[in-house]
Amino acid sequence: MAEMEVKESKKKGPGVKKHKRHSTRVDLTPMVDLGFLLITFFIFTTTVQQPTSMNLNMPKDTKNPDDNTKVKESGSLTLMLGKGNVIYYYFGNDPATMQTTGYKDVRKVILDKKKSTPAEDLFIIIKPDKDATYKNAVDILDEMDINDISRYAMVDPTPDEYSKIQQTEVAGGVK
Amino acid sequence: MARAKIKRGSTSVDMTPMCDVAFLLLTFFILAAQFKPSEAITVTTPSSVSNKVAPQKDYLNVTIDKNNKVYLDMDNAIKSDVLDELGKERNMKFTPEDKANFMKSAFVGVPLSQLSQFLKLTPEQLKGVALPGIPVDSANNELAAWVSAALSARLGEQLNLLIKGDDAAKYPTFKKVIDAFTANDQYKYNLVTNSRDVPEGSELYKKNLREHEANAGKPQQK
Repeated sequence: MAEMEVKESKKKGPGVKKHKRHSTRVDLTPMVDLGFLLITFFIFTTTVQQPTSMNLNMPKDTKNPDDNTKVKESGSLTLMLGKGNVIYYYFGNDPATMQTTGYKDVRKVILDKKKSTPAEDLFIIIKPDKDATYKNAVDILDEMDINDISRYAMVDPTPDEYSKIQQTEVAGGVK
Repeated sequence: MARAKIKRGSTSVDMTPMCDVAFLLLTFFILAAQFKPSEAITVTTPSSVSNKVAPQKDYLNVTIDKNNKVYLDMDNAIKSDVLDELGKERNMKFTPEDKANFMKSAFVGVPLSQLSQFLKLTPEQLKGVALPGIPVDSANNELAAWVSAALSARLGEQLNLLIKGDDAAKYPTFKKVIDAFTANDQYKYNLVTNSRDVPEGSELYKKNLREHEANAGKPQQK
């Protein structure tokens, strides 16, 4: 295009040059290709996913012990979240009968308890200890959702329970 | 016999309209795209089955990183009021420069005593600097002061409290953040998570299925 057409086919007369007319049409196919390529790229790189959120409601702090929620011993399951993604659990009020499980198997424990207990008595107490991670806490709260447990609470373990967890951890070699 | 002459059409199509459409779409997508601001704090959030979208308005977001440091950010719309309220509550004087810097800053990651210096830093300067985070200890829970300021700034209107924790953050820090909220009589929070599918066969899965069937069945019974 930058070159000039100098070929003269027919001479009409002296000094009369005929310029060959170029078509003004440009082939737009490559441009369309590029356009659609960019569209595809932008669609794929745009993150559609928005972060979701999980609701957490905590109870009011009550100074008066009479206001505390009463839990039936027969209906309670205590899950203690320890170091290294381990869960220690016991039924009722006796931490001495503590058993160990993990995050994959805890669903079975919860479901077994749910089946064997009347719905209005079932209460799950979640006690994350000092070494549990935020992920552990969210996972177990999520587990409550998954298993459709409506009554649960998150509290700190008692010093007795904590020392028992530590003993078990030391004995089991959990670092 | 005269044979009907089939006129040969040109195989080249006029690409102009197609080109127009392609670039129109391209322009639309580029303009409509919301670019994700580069996050100064990297946090890997845990996943949950919840499918509620995290609130994007009137929020106060507390981020806990993997080193158990606490950072705070909030909706730009409430920032200015929050700083005013904080100044009132803590008897702190903020210069107009501080305020302008605060409006620009993405998050707060230092104790109140260092706030003024912190706000002078540009995002480039913040990169790679180990920030002390906002103190959340029960003796000096400055996060509670921030929450209280934000609540006063909202004048009793709804404030969405978001907690965005890292997988590796320890539970006690999370607990301290909750304590900062409960100290201000706030008991409802949103934990920011990635969504994941409900495990098949679980109670929630069956419940969702039943609800789905009930909804699907309604128009047929009519």
